[in-house]
Amino acid sequence: MKILVPLKRVPDPQTNIQVRPDGSGIVTDNVKFVINPFCEIAVEEALRLKEKQAESEVIVLSIGGKECQEQLRTALAMGADRAILVLAEVPVDPATAAAVIHKIIEQEQPMLVLAGKQSIDDDAGQTGQLVASMLDWPQATCASKIDISADGGEITVMREVDGGLESLAFALPGLVTTDLRLNEPRYASLPGIMKARKKEMREVPLAELGLGATEKVKMVAITAPTKRQAGKKVESVAELVSLLHTEAKII
Amino acid sequence: MANDRLLPLPGQLPASDPSDEHRMLRQLVATFAAEELEPHAAASDHAGRLDLARLQRTGELGLLGVTVPLAAGGAGLDATAAVIIHHEFAKSDPGFTLAYLAHAILFVNNLHNAANEDQRERYLKPAIRGELVGAMGMTEPGAGTDVLGMQTTARRSGDDWILNGRKTFITNAPAADCFLIYAKVEGKITAFVVERECAGFGVGQPIEKMGMRAAPMAELVFEDCVIPASNLVGREGSGIEHMMRNLEIERLCLAAMSLGIAERCLAEMVFWARDRHAFGRPIAELGQIQRYVAESFARTEATRALVYAIAAQVGPEHRQRIGTDAAKLFAAPIGKEVADAAMQVMGGYGYCSEYPVERLFRDAKLLEIGGGTLESHQKNMTRDLIRALGPRG
Repeated sequence: MKILVPLKRVPDPQTNIQVRPDGSGIVTDNVKFVINPFCEIAVEEALRLKEKQAESEVIVLSIGGKECQEQLRTALAMGADRAILVLAEVPVDPATAAAVIHKIIEQEQPMLVLAGKQSIDDDAGQTGQLVASMLDWPQATCASKIDISADGGEITVMREVDGGLESLAFALPGLVTTDLRLNEPRYASLPGIMKARKKEMREVPLAELGLGATEKVKMVAITAPTKRQAGKKVESVAELVSLLHTEAKII
Repeated sequence: MANDRLLPLPGQLPASDPSDEHRMLRQLVATFAAEELEPHAAASDHAGRLDLARLQRTGELGLLGVTVPLAAGGAGLDATAAVIIHHEFAKSDPGFTLAYLAHAILFVNNLHNAANEDQRERYLKPAIRGELVGAMGMTEPGAGTDVLGMQTTARRSGDDWILNGRKTFITNAPAADCFLIYAKVEGKITAFVVERECAGFGVGQPIEKMGMRAAPMAELVFEDCVIPASNLVGREGSGIEHMMRNLEIERLCLAAMSLGIAERCLAEMVFWARDRHAFGRPIAELGQIQRYVAESFARTEATRALVYAIAAQVGPEHRQRIGTDAAKLFAAPIGKEVADAAMQVMGGYGYCSEYPVERLFRDAKLLEIGGGTLESHQKNMTRDLIRALGPRG
């Protein structure tokens, strides 16, 4: 079975993010970039499915500048078979990403697309659903467990919903987005790192896919969250009630 | 696991990883250190215990044969890769890092360089997989820096070698399955592999010590210890050559550990200086604290620049004796002094085991002694310089 995993390069979630003074974005100097954690979970799940299903291939895909090679190379070191980098100099919003993934699916004809449910940088949470709708494919979002039938024809997806677990099943091809508790991604081991160098990484300019500036969302400005004010200690319940009335004006 | 004390501070020199493989290796070992070493480091130190499960994990991740060529089952990487591992591991757990070094560098790297195919098959492959634990025996009760003064002897007897003597301060000895041992054959230093079960071989009780307690060490005793002729490594008398070559990468990795200790202690100190208040303001506003912080930052950065610059010069085909001596001579006191400065900035808290600086401070001292005392580096470097210059005129 052929599995396609789109993945996004994002700032390390452990990094302290600083907003540029002009609000045009975040400061990227000295910031470490990683595979978006939800995408990394998708890579891990694809590798686990591959270990269970003979004759499987895991293809990873990223969209952006040359620097995305780093994250693709890490996915190859984890065990993915080959990588595609769609070189885009334009900002990539969910509509652009979905259009690119759509084109690559047409080329590669995967049976399953595994994507992160959202990226931790702009948190749009749209790309997977957009792709499925463009292809008129069945989809299941926020998977917490995935099983594929022995013949590889059907997928069962567990979702953590309010009040319990929901189980969805559909015939492949289809698309699934991954939630946090689906798995714990493996480390890229040192032998894996050494093997990754020899794996194929195909670079495709955006224009070659017949796509241009397709973005529907324009980033206007980024501002840092306002700093939380320090709290205040009160001596008694009476004082608290009084302050809630006179100062906070909420009662 | 988020621990901002393990992340680079603003303005630190970026990691100068020469290739994509080095960059990914750093990511692997930094993540492993934060997630799997950091949570156990204090307990291993307290118990004086080698964390065998963690050492086996490094085997699963392919880290035990980092310098061994791909064809021999290793990763085929270089001294810079070994430095990256020791640097990142030591930020969290220098004791474990020392045990890793005793296995992966002193036993595996050294044995690979000197062993024949049969020995590589028998010992190297399982050691790289982490299935057997290795150690190296050079120092003796009566011969440390004066290593050529070793008294342990080996003599041929039919199909066997008979070893007699004692080794001490042998890291990993309490847990090791096999040992690379240096002994004199008719006065010439020769290397052998000794298995733990060999007749006439004994391992003493773990030796209590101040720091690096997660890397237990013990004495080895050879009393008519019998080993098969096939366990002679290299040629009779070739031990000195292997030993000297291996000492270079060992010194470099130990210098990288001092760098890791300095970097961690610097981070602990800076966060403390920001957050701790005295006299109504953060202590970072006090000049005495600023001196500790700024000098520690400058020294740590200088150490980083030196250690990685020398690492780029070291390889199986490149000797860099004076450079590796210089790296360790420079780095070891800085590891100790930055740990000391961090403790001073943190005051009573720094002295308590609740914070990692107390442990790192104890660990840092070993690096001024083990793998060559500061004095041995001074001696060797001066001798090498004078020799290289030749006589005047």
